Amino acid sequence: MTSLPNKSSYDSQLSLEGVTVRYGDVAALEEVSIAVQPGESLAIIGASGAGKSTLFRALTRSVALDGGGISVGGRDLYRLSSRDLKQVRRRIGTIYQAYNLIPQLSAGVNAALGEVGAMGALQTARVFLAGPEPGLSKKVRAALQEVGLADKADARTTDLSGGQQQRVAVARLLVQRPDLILADEPFAAVDPVTTEKVLETLLELNGAGSTLIINLHDVEIARRFPRILALREGRVLFDGPPSILDEAKLAEIYAGDPTVSHDKEPVDANFRRLREEQARILEGQDGISAH
Amino acid sequence: MASPPTEHTGVGGAIPRVDWKISLIVLVVLGLTGYSAYGVGFDLVELFSNAGPVERFVSEMFPPDFSTATLQATGTGILETFQMSFLGALIGAIAAFPLAALGTQQAPTTGASNSERLLRAIPYHLARFLLNIFRSVPDILWALVFVVALGLGPFPGTLALAVHSAGVLGKLYSETLEAVPSRPVEALRSTGASGFQSFLFGRLPQAASNFTSLTLYQWECNIRSATILGFVGAGGIGQQILISMNLFDYPKVATLVGATIIVVLAVDRFSAAVRRRLVY
Repeated sequence: MTSLPNKSSYDSQLSLEGVTVRYGDVAALEEVSIAVQPGESLAIIGASGAGKSTLFRALTRSVALDGGGISVGGRDLYRLSSRDLKQVRRRIGTIYQAYNLIPQLSAGVNAALGEVGAMGALQTARVFLAGPEPGLSKKVRAALQEVGLADKADARTTDLSGGQQQRVAVARLLVQRPDLILADEPFAAVDPVTTEKVLETLLELNGAGSTLIINLHDVEIARRFPRILALREGRVLFDGPPSILDEAKLAEIYAGDPTVSHDKEPVDANFRRLREEQARILEGQDGISAH
Repeated sequence: MASPPTEHTGVGGAIPRVDWKISLIVLVVLGLTGYSAYGVGFDLVELFSNAGPVERFVSEMFPPDFSTATLQATGTGILETFQMSFLGALIGAIAAFPLAALGTQQAPTTGASNSERLLRAIPYHLARFLLNIFRSVPDILWALVFVVALGLGPFPGTLALAVHSAGVLGKLYSETLEAVPSRPVEALRSTGASGFQSFLFGRLPQAASNFTSLTLYQWECNIRSATILGFVGAGGIGQQILISMNLFDYPKVATLVGATIIVVLAVDRFSAAVRRRLVY
């Protein structure tokens, strides 16, 4: 990758003050206060239902708050006009466990949608009817090339494998060049090779200035981030560098979660995969995480 | 009663459990049946004892009239019916689309002000209201309205089919649009797509194949409806059937009805085959 120009028109400093979100009687987030500096990278861990995905939904104002506030670049996210909200969201890139691409559109158009927030009415109609114009299409080609899918631009997304779809989602990020990347368990459903490739690209984007917040189920991957935030039952239980995250703390974070055990015995790879499978199923049932 | 055999412990012996809710439903259905049968004068004895006229009517239909003039009239009527149903479905689909788009619940308005919510609710409810009127008035009533306004002929019939089709398709389209997987749509919105953009790139592509299938099905329904719109003077083969009935020309009626059945079955088969291919 050469240079990544980062638009500095948007200040991505994030600050959460006592954020509380409830679904009925169940608190998904309880008094969460954190600050994230522009360009930081932050891994969030926690058991299923700890509030990780809800935190992401709050950061894009996709869920109503029951208390507290979130400010982006010093402005209250939940008080922005719909026009300003669009401007803020335009600078946020997302990537999910379930890819969340539009299955019927081609990989190229899905990648081009990274720029959807920047498109005017005319360009929107043009991309919809005739595909991306030369400028955008060049960016899309470069992005797909970078993730190794140069020949798949015209393939229907639903015909691609899971790992390939996740790489299309990464290509979308590369087209968008967001200031803030929200990655919601992007590795939970892809193979190890894709995991490394996707992680590498995310870190490159981060190195070029994008703030990166990533939800992870895998503590080992989380340890590769300079700052780890752990949620438990909607509360922040740990916030610091991986060096001070010890086994006792981990046990506390995952206490009572049947899908994760943190004893020191070596875990058989198959058993581990099975556990992750179970975790995914459980997450699907909580109605919060992406599926 | 289909309740499972349950043994109550402590009561002794197997007592079939009677669910009072099911009993109540059975009672209500029985009551409504009796009430309705009494109301409409439902009488099987009368059906079979007075079957003479029916028998005469049916026997007089045979042999059907295959004269050149009748075949020509049948051909014209069938063609007209076909044209009415096709145009009706097409115009209906074109009118239904924007109304369905407006009448679709978009993403939640988290954090939006009250005036913003109101601004978004007005077109939604207006579109839903229009679609409900279009749909809940049967096409034959719309035909009556247009015949009164425009005079006899296939044109008012076509308009009647178009309005009713717009109502039905609009409802079905918007239900399809609302039922598509919402995560990809939300994902688009969370990266700054407007309501229009997330509709165009998120909902529409996911619903498009169903749209074609629904529209074909509506065309099928229109073919069936178009055959009777002629009874109120709105063109198509129904008009020919009515005239021949009034002239007691039963052999001609037989030809017309026979041709109608064949065409309806053919369109059904064709449309079903196409729709099967569309599903993916």
